[in-house]
This record gives sequence, structure tokens and C-alpha cells, in this order.
Amino acid sequence: MKTILKTIRENIFTPWGIWLGILGVVLLSALVGGILVFWKGLVITNLTDLVPWGLWITIDLSSIAVAAGAFSLCAVVYLLGFKRYEPIARTATFIGFTGYSMAMMALLLDIGRPERFWKSFVFWNTHSLLWEVTMCVGLYFTVLVLEVMPIVASFEWLRKKFPRIAEKMEHLHHYAPVLAIFGLGLSSLHQSSLGAVYGVIKARPIWYRPEMSVLFMFTAILGGIALTLLASMLAARLTSKAKVNDVLIERVAQVLGYLMIAYLYWRFWDWLAQTYTYEPGRTEGFELLTKGPLSFNFWIVEMLFGALVPTILLVKRSTRQTPLWRMLALAMIVAGVVAFRFDTNIVGFLAVVPYLPGEAMVQYTSYTPSLIEWVTGGGIIAFGLLAFSVGVKYLRVVDHRITSEEHETVSVGVGEAVRNM
Amino acid sequence: MTENKFNRRDFIKLSAVGLAVAAGTRMIKEVAASEGAKGEHQWVMVIDQSKCTGCGQCNLICHANNDINPNMDWTKVLEAGEVNGQLVYLPRPCMQCEHAPCVEVCPVGASYYRDDGIVMMDYDKCIGCRYCMVACPYDARAFNWEAFTGGNPAVPEWGEPDVERRPRGVPEKCSFCYQRIDRGMSLGLEPGVDAAATPACVVGCPTGARIFGDLNDPNSNVSQILRDRPSYRLRESLGTNPRVYYLPVTENRVVEG
Repeated sequence: MKTILKTIRENIFTPWGIWLGILGVVLLSALVGGILVFWKGLVITNLTDLVPWGLWITIDLSSIAVAAGAFSLCAVVYLLGFKRYEPIARTATFIGFTGYSMAMMALLLDIGRPERFWKSFVFWNTHSLLWEVTMCVGLYFTVLVLEVMPIVASFEWLRKKFPRIAEKMEHLHHYAPVLAIFGLGLSSLHQSSLGAVYGVIKARPIWYRPEMSVLFMFTAILGGIALTLLASMLAARLTSKAKVNDVLIERVAQVLGYLMIAYLYWRFWDWLAQTYTYEPGRTEGFELLTKGPLSFNFWIVEMLFGALVPTILLVKRSTRQTPLWRMLALAMIVAGVVAFRFDTNIVGFLAVVPYLPGEAMVQYTSYTPSLIEWVTGGGIIAFGLLAFSVGVKYLRVVDHRITSEEHETVSVGVGEAVRNM
Repeated sequence: MTENKFNRRDFIKLSAVGLAVAAGTRMIKEVAASEGAKGEHQWVMVIDQSKCTGCGQCNLICHANNDINPNMDWTKVLEAGEVNGQLVYLPRPCMQCEHAPCVEVCPVGASYYRDDGIVMMDYDKCIGCRYCMVACPYDARAFNWEAFTGGNPAVPEWGEPDVERRPRGVPEKCSFCYQRIDRGMSLGLEPGVDAAATPACVVGCPTGARIFGDLNDPNSNVSQILRDRPSYRLRESLGTNPRVYYLPVTENRVVEG
């Protein structure tokens, strides 16, 4: 009896045990919250007819965005043939799988009839961008499951108990380039059309612009790569289970810095174009972002610390080569992308465009997420952290010592062409 | 090293086929959508603002006939400025747009057009994503945030329900009382002329501010009044082509009664 207690105590009061304990508490309260939502309905949220999409949609949009490292890095490794970066693609794939699981949880909470979610795959309105997003996310999640199989196959217990299954799962890695093609195609479609979901809404002029799809695609690539690198570096610092090759990470971070310059360029023109002429609804919405209640988010979180500062930190050699500065920059980019998604979603609702004739005045509404939205939303994030932690500990998700020989991967014609250039 | 089966050319070919299929289905869909609005009848509602006194009876009758939760509205009556010192009202049902944003964006096709132009909701198909509410330019949709379980205070004083109550988790909206139109026409009645075949709010308006009829029939009451008097529709610049027309209050046509 005493020895059992002793082993429990020894296991609980380790950093890993405490970490699991914290996540467990958050997950348990989220479970209670989730049951309450399904039982009582969406009336217990602070969503209204005027603000029908709130915090959960932000979590959904953000998890899909920061999961995008899976498709961009897999494309770089398996299609362009930069095989050196394969260990990073492995991390990105696992984060991608986790992120899309989180997005689906958020959606399940958010829709009014969760028991009918399957209808979205059966009944098609091909005209709807949300249909396209649903289909692509569904198919891409299948691709991610196949891509993550070889990673799960490295679970020691599985290898010992079911060696044949593990072997089969590992074999899927032979199809990595094919899966990367599908992943690239499906992700390019839905990451951008997720922005178009907002961009085609003519009734809300602040959204109604073609840049929305480009900005969503762009921020997804940035946020996805940033989170993959950040999570790898953080894991390597916290546990001996994770091993990173800092040279690889630094190279990708440099590319990310240059991508950030391109992003700043886009945001600048997108911002400037909206300052010209008055349009009811758009101008008011834009002022909410630049001068109103969202201005801190917009200028400080999105622009200053979400784009400008990390760009400098990643482009400048000395800061990029200092792991702490680099991690800070990556964290800022992730926060900036999340803030961009939150602001974009909410700003379209807060300025209510009038439809009455002769009433040019735009009215304002407000939205603060309710406790239940925070608790369940926190649970979704805790799930993501738990999945990644378990992945690092048992599946060697962050392990840059894994070389491509181990899986005998496929060489790609395209990649060779690029390298020969 | 295995031989790779996909190269760049194959990828481009595959993408081209995919895009062609997507474009094809879209075109078919668009053709179908524009044909849907050109049925035998095209029901429209004309609301004479010079007659509307803002009493709100239309809304009460609507609540009773369609069994609507008292904290939701299908045809809100709004104040819309003043003319000659008198308040002007604007009742706002669903506009039954010809190019309805809600129909275009619904991922499962739960919002759809009837042949006579009415924008319908299939409450069994709806998953409750609320994209239609986001897209509607007229705030015409109300969401069932909770189940409507209690009694309906508008019943029986203002009428009896003749449609099913909507479940929790779906948005609902005005349907031009399609059930009255369909039942009336099957009995040989004419919507807009015979009360039993006409939307409840039109029948119940004490000042006769609402007029209903077939725009495809050049001799119908709505066709005639839209020829004779100036009218406007809400947010026309969006190109939704609403089927609810308003006759404005002008300086020399003061509110009667």
C-alpha cells in the first residue's frame, strides 16, 4: 500500500504530472460546460441574432489557421523536395491533425443542431462557400488521419502489441507525396474560402472585399509555420523527449520573416484602401478597428506585435539566432493571427448596417463571450495542448534525429527539378 | 527509391479537371436558381406606409398563425422617421428576395426557392450554423436560441396556429404564409383576393396597408398599384431584388386615420 502511494506521489508531483493535472481540470470543467450547452441549448451563450458568431467561431477559424503548417511544410518537403526539413513537417502534420480536431469540436458546440452535423456531408448546396469549406475540411481531415498514421505507429506499446498493424500504418508514409498533393489542393481551397465565407457577404460592407480570401490564406500559412516552430522549440526546452535541430528551425524562421514582409505589404494596401470614401457600415466598422473598442487588438496585437515587431526580429540575424527572441517572435505571430481572425469576425457584426430608408445612421451592438463560452473554449485549447504533449512524450512528434532513411521515403520529380535549377 | 507516380504535369491536369467540375456544377446550379423564380405565379407584397399606423396587429396575427415565440418576430414594425410631424412606420417581413443571400450561402440547402419565388426554410435539413443570418441584409431571421415550450399568448385572440412549431437550434423567418396560399389555391381561391388564400398579416391589417398578389398577372391588384404609384424596396443597391415593395409617405399624402 505504501509503495503504491509512493509511486503515485512520485508521479503526480513531477512537472509532467502537474501539467496533466492542470489540463485535466480545464478539460473536466469544459466537459461539464459542453454537456450544459447540449442540454440547455445556445441560450446560455452570449450570442444573439445580431452577433450569431462569436468566440467559438474565432477558435474554429484560429485552430484551422495555425494548423496550416501541415499543408505548407508538407508541400515544401514532399513536393519541392526539401527533405532536410522532413522532421519539421512531421511536427506540423501532428499539429495539423490536432488543430482540425479542435476546429471540429468548436463547430459541434456552435451549431444549433449538433446531432445533425452529418447532414452537412449529405445535403449539398454547391453554391455555398460554407459547403465548400465543409467538404474540404472533411476530406482534408481524412488526409491528415492518413498522414498521422505513420507517426502514431511509432508508439512503443502499439509496436509491441500489434506489430503488423503498426507496420501497415508506417507503410502509409510511402504515400506522403501523394497525400501532400491532396493536402495542398484541399488546404489551398478551404483556407482561402474560409476568408471568402466573409468576403462574399454583401450585406456587411466591412467584409465585402476580395482580399479576405487572400488574407486568410496568407495568415494561415504564417500562423501555421510559426506555431509549428514555436511548439518544437518549446517542447525541446521542456522535455528531453523532444530533440530539435536549431539550424533547420532558424532557416525556416528566416523564410517566415520574409513572408511577414509580404504580409505587411498586403495589410498596408488593404488598410489604406479602406480609409478612402465613406460607405455606411464599412467606414463605421473600420473605425471600430482603428479607433473604437477593437483598436487595441488591431494596432497593438495584430499590427505592432503581431506583424511589425516579429518581422524585424526574424529578419534581423542576431535576434533570429537567439532562441528566446525567435520564440517570442513566433508567439507574437500566432497571437497576431488569432487576433486577426477574432477582429475580422466580430467587426462585421458590431456595426449594424441599417436597412431603413432615410436612416443612414449605423447602429452598434456589443458582444462579450459568456463564462460557458470561455470554459468550453478553454477546454478545446487544453485538448490541443494535451494532444501535443502526449505526442511529444510518446510519439516522438518533435524529434529532428529521425531521418528520412528510417521511413524510406519517395523522391519527387518536381523536387528534383527545383533542386537542379 | 520508388518511382513517383505524380509529377507536376499530372497535378496541373488533376487541378484543371477539378476546377472544370466545380465550375460546371456552379453553372448548372445558377441556371436552376434563376429558373426557380419564373414559375406561373410570383407573389409580392406591397406595403402602403401612408396607411400603416404602427399598431402592430399584423405582428400579433403572424405570431398566432405561425406559432412564433413571443420574443421573436417575423414582421417587426419599425419607426422610420417623420413626415409632416407624424411618425412613419415600416413593417418588415422577409423580403423573399429573387437573389436571396440566405439561399446562396446555406451549406445544406435548407433555405430554398419555391417556384412562386417564396424563400422557404426546410427546418429538418437545417444544422443551425446561422450563416443565413450573417448573410441576410434585412435582419429577417430569428434564431431559436431556446425551445419554445410555453403557451402562445397571441392564441386564440389573434388566430390559431396552422404550422408546426420550429425546434430549438434553427433560425426561422416569414414564409408569406405559404400554407394559406397552398391550401387556398387547392380550394380554387385566389391569393390576394380571397382572404383564406392570403397571408394572415395582409388579411388582419385594420387599415388595409398591406396588399398581396401575383406580379406575373398584369391585372392583379399589386401590378396595378405598382404601375400607378411610386414605390421603393429596401437596400435595392445590393441586387437582391426583394418581393416586398413599399409605397412611401409623401408630403402631400398624409397618414389617414
